[in-house]
Formats: sequence, C-alpha cells, structure tokens
Amino acid sequence: MFVAAEMRQFQQIFTRPFGLAKGSLCKRVERECKDRHTGMDCRYPEHREVNLGHPPWRLGSGNPCRNDGQNLKLTTLTGGIDLRWFRLIAPLLILSLCCTIVHGKEQEIRLFGWSDYLVQEVLDRFTLETGIRVIYTTYESNESMYAKLKLLDGGGYDLAIPSTYFIDKMRKEGMLQPIDKDKLPHYKNLDPRQLDKPFDPGNHYSIPYLWGTTGIGVYTAKFELRTIQTWADLWKPMFLGRLLLPNDMREVFHVAFRVLGFSGNTTDPAQIRSAYALLKKLLPNVRLFNSDAADVLFVTGEADAGVIWNGAAHRIQREEPAFRYVYPAEGVIIWMDSLVIPKNAPHAELAHRLIDFLLRPDIAKLSSEKVGSATPNAEAVKLLSPELRNDTTVYPSDEVLAKGEYQTDIGASITIYTEYWEKLKAE
Amino acid sequence: MANYFKTSVILLLSFWLAVFVLVPNLLVLAASFLGRDESGFINWSFGFDNYLRLFDPIYLRVFGHSLGLALMTTLTCLGLGYPFAYFLAQFRTSLRPVLLTLVVVPFWTNSLVRTYAIRSLLAAKGLVNNALIAIGLIDEPVRLLYTRSAVLIGMVYILLPFMILPLYSAIEKLDRRFVEAAADLGAGRLRRFWHVTLPLTLPGVIAGSVLVFMPALGLFYIADVLGGSRNLLVGNFLKDQFLDARDWPFGAAASMVLIGLLFLFLSAYAYSLKRFAAKDDRQA
Amino acid sequence: MTKLKSTYLALIFGFLYLPMAVLVLFSFNSSKYGLRWESYTLEWYRSLATDETLVWAAFNTLLVATLAASLACVVGTLGAIGIFRYRFKGRAVLQGLLSVTLMSPDIVMAVSLLVLFIALHVKLGFLTLLLSHTTFCLPFVTMTVLSRLEGFDPHLIEAAEDLGADEWQAMRQVVLPLAMPAILAGWLLSFTISLDDVVVSFFVTGPEFEVLPLKIYSMVRLGVKPEVNALASLMFAVSLLVVSSAQCLLQRK
Repeated sequence: MFVAAEMRQFQQIFTRPFGLAKGSLCKRVERECKDRHTGMDCRYPEHREVNLGHPPWRLGSGNPCRNDGQNLKLTTLTGGIDLRWFRLIAPLLILSLCCTIVHGKEQEIRLFGWSDYLVQEVLDRFTLETGIRVIYTTYESNESMYAKLKLLDGGGYDLAIPSTYFIDKMRKEGMLQPIDKDKLPHYKNLDPRQLDKPFDPGNHYSIPYLWGTTGIGVYTAKFELRTIQTWADLWKPMFLGRLLLPNDMREVFHVAFRVLGFSGNTTDPAQIRSAYALLKKLLPNVRLFNSDAADVLFVTGEADAGVIWNGAAHRIQREEPAFRYVYPAEGVIIWMDSLVIPKNAPHAELAHRLIDFLLRPDIAKLSSEKVGSATPNAEAVKLLSPELRNDTTVYPSDEVLAKGEYQTDIGASITIYTEYWEKLKAE
Repeated sequence: MANYFKTSVILLLSFWLAVFVLVPNLLVLAASFLGRDESGFINWSFGFDNYLRLFDPIYLRVFGHSLGLALMTTLTCLGLGYPFAYFLAQFRTSLRPVLLTLVVVPFWTNSLVRTYAIRSLLAAKGLVNNALIAIGLIDEPVRLLYTRSAVLIGMVYILLPFMILPLYSAIEKLDRRFVEAAADLGAGRLRRFWHVTLPLTLPGVIAGSVLVFMPALGLFYIADVLGGSRNLLVGNFLKDQFLDARDWPFGAAASMVLIGLLFLFLSAYAYSLKRFAAKDDRQA
Repeated sequence: MTKLKSTYLALIFGFLYLPMAVLVLFSFNSSKYGLRWESYTLEWYRSLATDETLVWAAFNTLLVATLAASLACVVGTLGAIGIFRYRFKGRAVLQGLLSVTLMSPDIVMAVSLLVLFIALHVKLGFLTLLLSHTTFCLPFVTMTVLSRLEGFDPHLIEAAEDLGADEWQAMRQVVLPLAMPAILAGWLLSFTISLDDVVVSFFVTGPEFEVLPLKIYSMVRLGVKPEVNALASLMFAVSLLVVSSAQCLLQRK
C-alpha cells in the first residue's frame, strides 16, 4: 500500500503540534516489577483478587504476565486514552448541537438575487416591520440561478429575481408558482406600461422589480470620453487587457450582435457564430469577466473601462466623479428583472409579503436610489428626487430607449449560445 | 461472534465506499456517454460525442493550461519547499517544533480566507503595488490581479505546506552518516546532494508532488478569485458545466478524463517507488 | 551560511504570514475600500457580530465538521480493523478504492456525489453535506489507523486470544486502545479538512443549510469588503488560539 506510508508521514507531522505523533495520548508507564508474580494461573489467592475485573489480556490493566522469578520490565499503557482531548472537543459538540436545536424556529425567507440588487437597508426595514428574517443569497448570472433552482427542484428558495427572458423559460418548464395578486395590495402602483408583456401575459408568475440598461462605463481619468462612444470602440487596441465584461452570456453576445448590426435576440446560428468570431478578437482586451462587483472593481482601480449595468455605474459615480456611463451609438441593451416564486418554495406566503413590501412606493424609491436602476413603480417615480429622476444614467432619455433593444427569450437557441460562450471563456 | 464482527465491519466499509465512491463514479461514467437535456439533466441518447467534443483544440488547451499550471505550481513549491525543509531539519532542535507548528498553522485557516489575503496584497491599490511605488520602481500600479501569475502565486501560497511537510519528514529521517561518508570519499557538495541526499529523500519529493499536483487541478475558487472567471483550470470548466451551462454529460466526460489522469499519475508514482525499492535492493 | 539559512526560512515564513498580517491590520482600518490606512475602528467587527446568517453559517460548519469527523472515525476505524485483521475477497479492491478516494481531486468527488444525490432525488442540504464530508474524510482515518495498526506486533492479539479473550474483547480491549492515538489524529485531520473544504460543499449543499466557506466565497467574490477582513482575522485568531492552546495543554508533561 504505497499511499499508506506517505499518509503516515504526513499525518505524523500534521498532528505533531497536538502532541499526537509520539503516541503521547496514552500515558506510558515503565516500571520494574518485583513483587507481583501474577498472571493467568495465579497461584496465590491475594493475586487473584488483584486480577478481579482485569482480564489478563487487557492493555493497561497493569497486569504482568506470568513471571518466573525474574524482574520484568513492564511497559503498559495505563488509563487507556488520555481524555484531555475530549475536554477540548466536547464543549464544541454540545454547543453546536444545542444551537441547531434552537435554530430554525423563527420565520425566515430565502431570497436568491443578483448581488447588490436588494439593499440591506430595505431588508432590515422589512425585518423590523414584520419580524421575518431575510436570508439573501446572490448569483452572478441567470444561467447559474436557473441551474441552481433546477438542482433544488424549485425548492429551497422563496424568491428569485430572473431577467425577463428567463421567466418565459422557467414558466413554461413549470418551475414557478402563480403569484396571488389579492395578497399584493400595492400591485396597483406598478406602471401599466411595464406589465402584461409577452414573456408573462397577465403577470401571473412575475412582478417587475427594477429595469435598467447595459452600457459602457469609462473612467475618464484613464481614457478620453470621446474615444469610446460606440460598442465597436471596445475593440480598439488601446484597451488591451483593460476591459471588464459582465460574466453574462446574453449581454456579451448582445454587444457583438449590435456591432454586426444584428438583433440582440437573434436565433440564427450563422449570426451567433459570426458574433463568436468577433468576440474572440475582443478577448485580448478583456481583463476579466465579472458581474458581481463591477462598482468595487472600478473604485479599487482594477478596471478602467468596460461593459456594465447602469446601477453599478450610478454607484461608481457617487464615489468617482471622473467616471462616465456611455450609451453606445449602436443602441443600448435594456433589461428588466422580476420577482418570481419558485414552484416548491418553502415559504411562499412570506414571499408574497416581501413582494408587496417591495412594491410600496417609499421602498421602491429607496431600492431605485440605492441600486441605481429604474423602478417600474409609477408611484415611486413620483417620489423620486428631481436629481435622480433627471439622471440619465438611471433613467435614460426616450431617445436612448427608442434605440435600445429589450432582451427577449431565445428559446432552444440558448444551447448554441452556451456552447460558444463556453468556448469563449475557455479560449 | 467473530464472524458477525468480521462480516459487519467489512460490510460497513464496503457499503460506504460502494455507495459514495463507486456508484457515483459509475453514474458519472454512464452520464458521460449520454446527451444533454435542456430542461432535465440528461437525455437518453448514447454516444461518444462528449469525448469527441473534448478533443476540440479549445478544450484541449484548457486541459493543457490546467496541467501546465499544476506542474508550475508543483515545481515552484518544490523549489521553494526543498531548501526550506532542508534548512528546517538542520535548525536548532529546541526551536524546530515551534517552526514546524508555524508551517502547520495555516492549515487551520480556511483556504478561501488565505486566497482572499493574497488578493488584497496583489490588488491595484494593494500592498505590493504601493510598496513598489514607494521605492520608486514604478509610477503606475502594475496589473497583478486577474493574471495567470496571480493564480500561480495563490496556488503556491495555498499548497506550499503540503509540499513542505512530507519533504521535511523525509529529510529529517535522512541518515547524515551517508552524506558524511560521501564527503569522506571526496564527493563535492553538489555531487553529495545529487547522488546521496536527493535519492534518499525522493519518496518525500514524490509524496509532496502528488499532494500538490492533484489538488492544483481542481481548486476552481483560486482561479475564480484571482484569475477573473476565465476557464483557466479543469476545475472551473467542470464547475461551469455542472452549475452554469448545465451540460452534465459533457462535464462528466471531462471529469472522467481527470480520473484517467489521476490513474496515470498514480501508476507512474507506484512504478517509480517500485523502481526505487528495486534499486535499493540491488545496491544492498 | 547559517545566517543565510535563517534568512531563507524567515522569507518563506514571511510569504506564509504576511498576507494574513495585512488582513488583520486592515480589519481595523476605517477606510471603506481598505486601500489606505485611515484610522482605527472596530466597526467591521461590530457589523459582523450583527450578521446572524454568518454566525449560523459558522455554527453549521462546525457542526458538520464535528459530526463528519466523528462518523468517519467510526466507519474508518472499523474498516481499518477489518482490513488489518481479516483476509477476504475484495480486500485489495477496498484498499484501492480507499487510495483513489484519498488522491482524487475534490472537484471529481464533488461532481460524482452531486450526480448521485440528484439521481436518488435526495434534497441537497444537511444530510447530503454530512455524507459527502464523511466520505472524503473516511480514507484519511482508515489510512492513519491502518498504518498505526500495521506498526504493531500482531502477536498482541494472538496473545489476548490465547488468554481467553473473544474477538469482540480483543478488539475493544487490545486493538482499540492501540489504535486510539491514530484515531484521534484521524479525527483531527478530518475535522480540519472538513472545515477547510470549499469545493465539495459548493456542489452538495442547499440553501437551507449554509456553511461558512460558501458565505465567504460570495463575500470574497463581491470584492473588497472590510467585513471580510474582520471575519478572516477572527478565523485566523481562532485557529491560532486553538493550535497554541493545544500545544500548551498537551505538550506539558
């Protein structure tokens, strides 16, 4: 067993700081044995008494084997095991067991959302008002959210926030449960123009949360603003190894489609292939794919330009005045994210309460302000400060919107996208 | 009684290993021959497509990069670790246990936390860049994060103790008299090392290399945190296939290739040990 | 020469400890993005303490590590005794499986266990996590115990049997005490490995049972957050404390 020898070495050193290597867990007793001549055949009654309860084979019984008058040097392991170890471990065990028993009694709701997409302040206020604890887990792309929900068979999470084009897919695959609008008194606040879209007619399964755009973010201290006005500018050699791209298949392909003049929702394999070929040329310029913390990356100086969401752009502008968000000339990407309840959500009732809470005008306003994306909540828009309402990063002009393109479901072609996306990232 | 004990003990271990090691791997093997399904997990169409797809130069390159990176990590760890273990074994006996403990302590801190520590060092406005700017070597922060070297540094940092420990135990056991004998016979420093010390500590070198190389193939989170979400390692590739792209059969095929590599590596290891032992016998 | 050697040792130790030291230092920094030293603060520790989910994740991690290590010790020790004591068909296969489990990269094991659990429709959560952790701890225990048993005089068992002990008594009163140090070493090893695991947990746990590595992973991915510094420092301090107290407790003779 060749591994065993290595394991022994490794384990000995590994555990040496704990004094285990030398077998010091057992107290080793060496003594000269002069007086006791005992053993299996104890000829003397007093010795037989000594042996009571100590079977002769038992280690550590202090029972010398038969001795014919010689002095035996005994090495026995007395007391068996050194119990000091258990004194370290036992409290840990008991503590954690107790805690698990206590745990799990309160009301809680598990939320699966984009990172930095729900504001801690909002969640804290919800907990304060209702006593329901919100556990917020984040994902980085619609695909990983979808994959995780598939793994969990629609259970585990109570609320998720997919983008529009995934709602259609999830709805058709029976992964969502209908939302009871009678439980949502604030549903009426939503702007009717944002409702009843083709991906979910009648909004039986989804409630709009925020919408926004994907454009180009640039740190003007590093690059001049006029050098980057279109998606095609990203391919310029000056950005070699400098760009940040979202770790999101659809968005990255969308950029290439717009440069090539195709629709961002194309399902034509030939067009997808040519987009892939174009993106391959962009790769030397890409420093990293990340959609988790674009704002942090810009503020900490890791990225100087890239494709980002307007929410992140708004947050960066608050820290770095030299940062600009550009609507590329080819047309911006528009998306909307909606709240859905997975099929086997353990706390669907509580999820409804959270949705309604998020629809409250003051809360929707707060979300929009903090996240930096636009709210579909008509009442909330009225409450917004003129500053934010007129901030073109958050609320783009009608002109920009007219040129922009909504992301929609692409059906089975997603497999082709995935394949090329995987290849792109493996490159 | 004896028989009951025997049967139950053997059954317990066999059952556990069968259910949690053998069956899962057979399932993965089976899945690797099936097709991808859009809404489920697999689709019952048998074929070798997944393996053929792996032969696409792009994916071969992922494997190549991953193996290269793992190899670089192993060699760097060996280069840094061997002298370290050697000097440590020569250190004052009274201080050695303390120093050894210091090598082991990082094991008790989560490796993610340590990866994060490296990340904060390498950041654009991190310590390394600030120090370099302060001593005037550079004017602008250098891009250290999200590069291949950042991943390499992270891997070495996490895996170095795995190399040092077996090396140390091999070097500590080394009978100094052999080296002295070689010196008496007139061998120079280099020759003593090459012909006496190194062969005698070779098992430690091999053990350390295995302990570094195998994990280095799969530690996707280091490549993720320090390398910026490109598919740098087989580990990232597997994670992507199973948890993002949902192409389980393709991921399963890649996983099987990794297992194949493991077997190759282990048999090479066993072979080298056997040869080593045979050589020993001949010499004795 | 000696000076050179000491310098080299110090350099490597610096490499191992400098990043952690910087983290600890910056966990007391009031600057939000932790780039420049501003002033001393305990704010991040305070906000960490109020994060209930994090505290629970820490408890869950410890719970799984403890239970998995203990379970692996039970199964692994019995298995090791079986392999050591008896000759049976498939013994070599069993040993081969163990060493493959020991050496296989985490990611391969994670993937195969995920496939198993999904195929059996087991809900991902505490149970799957515990079983998975036990599985990858198992070979460490078995190998450690086996290597210790093989180092002992087999006559000890024969002697016990000659003296009238039955199989069970021989196991409980001779083999087990002999193997105890190795069992505890295996427990410790398993505990550490389970605490440190990211890859397997990433695949097999569900949202109802969150563990610390996954929490940290998402925090780390989200970039520089001072709370992560504070958390990392705390974990480092705890591990340092445990190791040094173990040193003091156990090596004092």
